[in-house]
Amino acid sequence: MSAATRTVEHVTCLGCGCACDDITVVVQRGRLTEAQRACALGAAWFGDGQVPDAVRIRGRAGTLERALAEATALLADAKRPLVYLAGDISCEVQRDAVAIADRLKGAIDSLASTAAPGVLAAQRRGRAGATLGELRQRAVLVVFWGVDPGARYPRYCARYAVDAVGLAAPGGRTSRRVIAVDVGEARGPADADGRVAIPPDAEVDALGAMRASVQGRAVGTDAPLEPAIALVHEMTTARYVALVADAEPGATPADPDRAEALTALAQALNGPTRCALSMLRGGGNRSGADAVLTWQTGFPFAVDFGRGYPTYRPHAGAAERLAGGEVDAALVIGAPATLPGSVARGLAAVATVAIGPRASAADWKPVVAVDTGVAGIHEGGTAFRMDDVPLPLRPALDGEDVRSAAATVRALRERLEAGA
Amino acid sequence: MTTPERLRLTSGTVYDPANGVDGVVRDVCIEAGRIVAELPVGAPRLDVRGMVVMPGGVDIHAHVAGSSVTHARRLLAEEHAADPVPAPRLADGPSPRAGSGGTVPSTFATGYRYAGLGYTTVMEAAVAPLAARQAHAELDDTPLIDSGFYVLLGNDDYLLRQIAARETARARDYAGWLLGVTRAYAIKIVNPGGVAVWKGGGADGSRNVSGLDEAVGSSAVTPRKILETLAGAAQALALPHPVHIHCNNLGQPGNAATTLESMRALAGRRAHFTHLQFHSYGGERGKPWKSGANDVIEYVNGHPEVSVDVGQVMFGPATTVTADGPVEHLLYASSGRKWVNVDIELETGCGIVPYSYREKAAVAALQWAVGLELFLLAKDPWRVVLSTDHPNGGTFLQYPELIRLLMDRAYRDERLKAVNQKLLTGSALLDGLAREYTLGEIAIVTRAGPARLLGLPQKGHLGPGADADVTVYAPDADRAKMFAAPRYVIKGGTLVVEEGQLRRAPAGARLAVRPDYDPAVKSDVKRFFDDYASVAFENYGAEP
Repeated sequence: MSAATRTVEHVTCLGCGCACDDITVVVQRGRLTEAQRACALGAAWFGDGQVPDAVRIRGRAGTLERALAEATALLADAKRPLVYLAGDISCEVQRDAVAIADRLKGAIDSLASTAAPGVLAAQRRGRAGATLGELRQRAVLVVFWGVDPGARYPRYCARYAVDAVGLAAPGGRTSRRVIAVDVGEARGPADADGRVAIPPDAEVDALGAMRASVQGRAVGTDAPLEPAIALVHEMTTARYVALVADAEPGATPADPDRAEALTALAQALNGPTRCALSMLRGGGNRSGADAVLTWQTGFPFAVDFGRGYPTYRPHAGAAERLAGGEVDAALVIGAPATLPGSVARGLAAVATVAIGPRASAADWKPVVAVDTGVAGIHEGGTAFRMDDVPLPLRPALDGEDVRSAAATVRALRERLEAGA
Repeated sequence: MTTPERLRLTSGTVYDPANGVDGVVRDVCIEAGRIVAELPVGAPRLDVRGMVVMPGGVDIHAHVAGSSVTHARRLLAEEHAADPVPAPRLADGPSPRAGSGGTVPSTFATGYRYAGLGYTTVMEAAVAPLAARQAHAELDDTPLIDSGFYVLLGNDDYLLRQIAARETARARDYAGWLLGVTRAYAIKIVNPGGVAVWKGGGADGSRNVSGLDEAVGSSAVTPRKILETLAGAAQALALPHPVHIHCNNLGQPGNAATTLESMRALAGRRAHFTHLQFHSYGGERGKPWKSGANDVIEYVNGHPEVSVDVGQVMFGPATTVTADGPVEHLLYASSGRKWVNVDIELETGCGIVPYSYREKAAVAALQWAVGLELFLLAKDPWRVVLSTDHPNGGTFLQYPELIRLLMDRAYRDERLKAVNQKLLTGSALLDGLAREYTLGEIAIVTRAGPARLLGLPQKGHLGPGADADVTVYAPDADRAKMFAAPRYVIKGGTLVVEEGQLRRAPAGARLAVRPDYDPAVKSDVKRFFDDYASVAFENYGAEP
């Protein structure tokens, strides 16, 4: 291990779905001491690069060899196994994980099931979208629909839709108009140029009325919807509109029809002008899991290989299966800390194998836990930004003697495939 | 049987047009993954007496991998549910994988189904450079086929700037750099300039370009200039396949004029015009459509520098997926179906609409007829490739049906009677086209021709040194049946289909170019990235 300071440039951060790839990471004595340009969320995600290196079998230290043997036996014997793609793993690991679910004839799910309404809306209607860099180039009107990216997507405005200069926005922020739509407590950015308030129970109706107005259909005069309808004129006369909403669950559950109503409005705006809907997604390469599952199985999440081929059960994801007693063994790949509470609670009741960053610290007590490095910090590969742009990972602590998730999952896959 | 290192296919009826072999009974010898002239007497033999032996199929234009294809897959949950693909029972090699089918199958299913048709090489026709890494990952998950992709150029801001500044040499070097950094095989142009205008937005109604000399931003930048610049770049970079062009005005009545103008703009230069059927309509905007196939194919017949693939429309479900964003918006607006649009920063677009071509729909029937006319009026099969622009005009699983339409006039005429003929008045097909493709010609338009047009000397033939990609069909008067289920398929020397069953699924190889260019262009591109791009120059592309 070198005592010298080294820096690694153009590192991709997976702290949120922005996947900023301009981070310079400073490493001293095997520790990560600085993540330059990272936001607070990113700095916390990188941490100091220290991860535990335990292998635990039924709570006791064991060898990797034994752990893989136990994991293979546990999973191969399961009648209704579940594979779960948690955060902080690369697409390469996700690809092997889907192969394992296929082999086991098990179910497989990912963090996407926490943002299912957006995925389902995109399946029903499609999307009117753009990559984040295209919003940067084109958007002259940015409408934040019930979200201030500052908290969960801190550099979204600086790097993409608002502050950065673009082809049609040579002045950056000064070239764009920003509107905050406050949906109850879900408020848009404080420094917006204009604000519109909509009661939460009128949100979907407001989106529907706006769409009708865009399409030139008569809209009733319902007082709570008026401010939203007034926004339509501004949207239809702007050269390119970015409509930004949060796809991840918020403090209060959103109306399940909201994502579809947002999509429909964005699509309709492409009659009179151009519009792209940007649905904000969280970090840890969760968007990569959607893509990998889709290209390998045809479905983006909540897939079941139980019949020997993939079937789609979008309303029976991991949490529902666990709660319904439909799982007798689970393999969690990725960081347990990223699991939704509903899944973590369910895992406590079944025999599990956990492979990933800080797996040994999982509070649902895996039968087998193998700690690995973090994708993007200790190991390379590919991760997807929230807009499905694939980015390479540049691990600053590569070769620092941290167990690789990719190698571990591949070894498990090979054992399971060999046991035909 | 396991795959032996050596294999002699004995006494098959061989169609190997690249080597002048047209239905000759002879042996084909394979050793270490290649075709060889001879084998020792004791080498393992496979008796294919009475069967038809051809090189493995080569698909010059299909959409099988990458961000746009996976956006399409996301839309098609119902299709996938209706067409499950259980893991095949393989004899050895990589583990089998389950998947799903429909018009846009999952990756493993795509590989299995192509090989099941006897196709062993497939080119993905449109990849945005920004998402090249994803396309490679998906092709890595598509077994059995050797594959490569065409990288999208011609609406990218950096290129348009070079054209505006008349920096032709820099445009060429940029194309060379981009091909290398994305590990692509050829340059693809989609609706030159039109996608850039679509993304520019505006309430002024401008959503596309319609003519070759319309300004795209700068008056110095026109579709014609884009075509000339990139055709020149492909030539200067000595690429094995010339520019692969999806013309302006796809799907518009009267677009045959645009297509002919595009061909004339590049007269004397090698160029491949793709899914020509979608660009061969007569009539004019606002008036009824009619076939423009005759004029277009006549030009192709007279110009040996031009090659095409047809992009045949087949009746049934399809999924339209293209970088041509404005076209998909029109289709969405007129069909009311699901619609995906993704504007891709500084580069290109992506539009998707699931669709269905119905025999009783006048326009679909016209499209079907135009494609057949192009095939049947073509004089040189070496320059007219069989394609459906999978999954746009139909899926690759419909190739056998298409082959039957080309080989069997009686069947074709019978089908013609069943379609809506409202727009077919005056068309050559309705007047009666007697031509029937021979097996030798089918071997040209499905393997020998595309391999030659792609500049793949090891593909599409059965001469010594060629890759041992071989397909063996049991003859059947019903040509659709014959071509749908080959008896044997050999891929790179591995027996992958035996007695009609998929038995092995080895990984395919990646086909990519790495042209020489002046590396000085990189610092200029990097400056542009630093000013505008949302990803670091260093993270761009798909280098391992």
